Amino acid sequence: MSAQPASALAAKPLLQISDLHVKAGEQPVLRGISLAVRTGEVHAIMGPNGSGKSTLAHVLAGRPGYEIVSGSVSFEGRDLLALAPEARARAGLFLGFQYPVEIPGVNNAYLLKAALNAARRERGLPELDAFEFLALVRRQMGLMRIDESFLGRGVNEGFSGGEKKRNEILQMLVLEPKLALLDETDSGLDIDALKVVADGVNSLRAPSRAIVLITHYQRLLDYVVPDCVHVLARGRIALSGDRTLALELERRGYDWVADAAPG
Amino acid sequence: MSAAAQATVRDQPLERALREFDTAAARLPETVVSLAARRRAAERLGKLGWPSVRDEQWRYANLRALERIATFLPPARTDNGAAGGQAAALPALPAPLPGFQRLIFVDGVRTAAAPPAAATAGAGVVGALAGEPGWAPEQRLGLLGEMFAQDGAVLQIAGEAQVELLFVVSARAARAAVYPRVQLQLAPGANVTLIERHLGTADAPALVCATVTAELARGSQLQHYRLQQYGPDIVFSDSLSARVQQDASYRVRQIVIGADSTRTSADVRLAGRGAAVNWQAIAVGRAGQVHDTTLKVEHAAAGTHTEEVFRGIADERSRLAFSGHVLIQPGAAGAQARQSLRGLIEGAGAEIDLRPRLEIHTDEVSAQHGATTGRLDENLLFYLLSRGLDRATARALLKWAFLGDVLRAIELPSLREQAERSTAGVLQDVLAVGALT
Repeated sequence: MSAQPASALAAKPLLQISDLHVKAGEQPVLRGISLAVRTGEVHAIMGPNGSGKSTLAHVLAGRPGYEIVSGSVSFEGRDLLALAPEARARAGLFLGFQYPVEIPGVNNAYLLKAALNAARRERGLPELDAFEFLALVRRQMGLMRIDESFLGRGVNEGFSGGEKKRNEILQMLVLEPKLALLDETDSGLDIDALKVVADGVNSLRAPSRAIVLITHYQRLLDYVVPDCVHVLARGRIALSGDRTLALELERRGYDWVADAAPG
Repeated sequence: MSAAAQATVRDQPLERALREFDTAAARLPETVVSLAARRRAAERLGKLGWPSVRDEQWRYANLRALERIATFLPPARTDNGAAGGQAAALPALPAPLPGFQRLIFVDGVRTAAAPPAAATAGAGVVGALAGEPGWAPEQRLGLLGEMFAQDGAVLQIAGEAQVELLFVVSARAARAAVYPRVQLQLAPGANVTLIERHLGTADAPALVCATVTAELARGSQLQHYRLQQYGPDIVFSDSLSARVQQDASYRVRQIVIGADSTRTSADVRLAGRGAAVNWQAIAVGRAGQVHDTTLKVEHAAAGTHTEEVFRGIADERSRLAFSGHVLIQPGAAGAQARQSLRGLIEGAGAEIDLRPRLEIHTDEVSAQHGATTGRLDENLLFYLLSRGLDRATARALLKWAFLGDVLRAIELPSLREQAERSTAGVLQDVLAVGALT
């Protein structure tokens, strides 16, 4: 990992992926991913469609339907792959979905509060009552420019694409994860919404946390500047570098990376 | 077993019912149903025969449960009304809803409580509903109610009224049958909210055979909430017949969660121009429960409107069925009908059968139906898990969301809360109360 910033070398990785091979059905999707993410860092994972970016995010979050063929993932030294999805979330891992689902009938506020209190219980903190919860959420809603009436609506019900993405970031801000995996959170956003989302992500940046941005375009990286950029091709990390790699990809496209990828 | 022997077994409940009727008919109160009318009902049941699973309309009903009923005879009445001297056997009744007048039936007999002031309640006017309802073949168990009823109420309502009907079963009903019976007559322009609750249990199998008829005169409105939460010994036959005249509106919200098995046989006739029915129902089945509904809506006039929503969750080995038949007659130009039937299978041995059916005999109608049955959406489940919710809560939330359409359609906040709590109780997750939008 030549691209790791020197300041981070001393720290133990928050997330350590080692030679991860994953199949979806009979199809190998990840073919030997190795990656270390330390607290305080922002990583960007880029790559063409079908390179395995979203699969990686979903495998880390524990979505069923994938077969882990070999390799390991540790999160704060624990075997992440042995944990159920809900245990991963409570341990501090957050996945921002590329396509957040609509759950008509389930109240946004209820979901947020239940999620937050599950995380707090895990950390040995007292659960928040309705007033404390509202005070916390209102602050973050202001930042994400989400109207308070959203709380009483169904989860993502009737939200525009941009509203759904901002709602994902709102959830992330409320839950304060140790590791945020944001899967193409920038896709489908206009420039104003992109800035709002970027502000939200930047507000979460802290020495105690890490953020992994999965994106097809480097546009988001103008606003959330990554420490490292990795390019996925054919289920492997083909290249790693600093943010100038993202700019190069913007100029040259992905074809040359795929050609350069081993195997 | 030979075919002849099978037929004998199948005919047993019918023969028993007719035999018991012959022995008891003379003792049953003439003021509730005349002996002649009782005999006509018995004769018709004899002609129609006992329902069989080979009949499409009865295929999913739990007919075996009916065979377990020891007798179709109602328990003997006490001198001072059924409630007298047996208060200890009654279940705790729900808190009265503000503004509602209560009418309580215990084991098919009204208690001494005063009838709703807005209504004239009394026996002996049973024939007033333009003759007997003439139960359709799929409603033939309603005939048992005609034959054996011990009591009944006719509610004639003008203006606005809020009435709560409690159909309560006590231990006295064990191994017997009870026949609560109500006829509603709404005057032109009347606006009535009726809550019909079914609760209580016996300590042994008991048949509750309820018959409700409703006549909605021109421009009247009936909001009819039906909450069935009997105990596990009850075999429940629920026959409902409604006639909706010009510009009248009939809204039904039905929640079926209790009893060993339920058969709702409902028949709604949209008789006048612009008449409308909006029927939204929930059924939740657990263990070996069977909840079967047949709802037939007949559009007999122009500009009539049907909206049907069913949401059913079948857990463990339970079986749910909903058959919605919308018949649009030649004269019903401009009729609109929409059916949305959805089932959620939770149990490995559970089964749901949804049968939407539109039968259209005229042009210029707008009709659509949809029926889907499946398991919980794994994508939705994963989303909730990825937010740290435990699996049981996530599943309960999604079940709530599934039932939410209908629960939200309960416009009375206090009743909605009671309905949510009751439903949450059978879903075994009271945490989720309050999670609905």
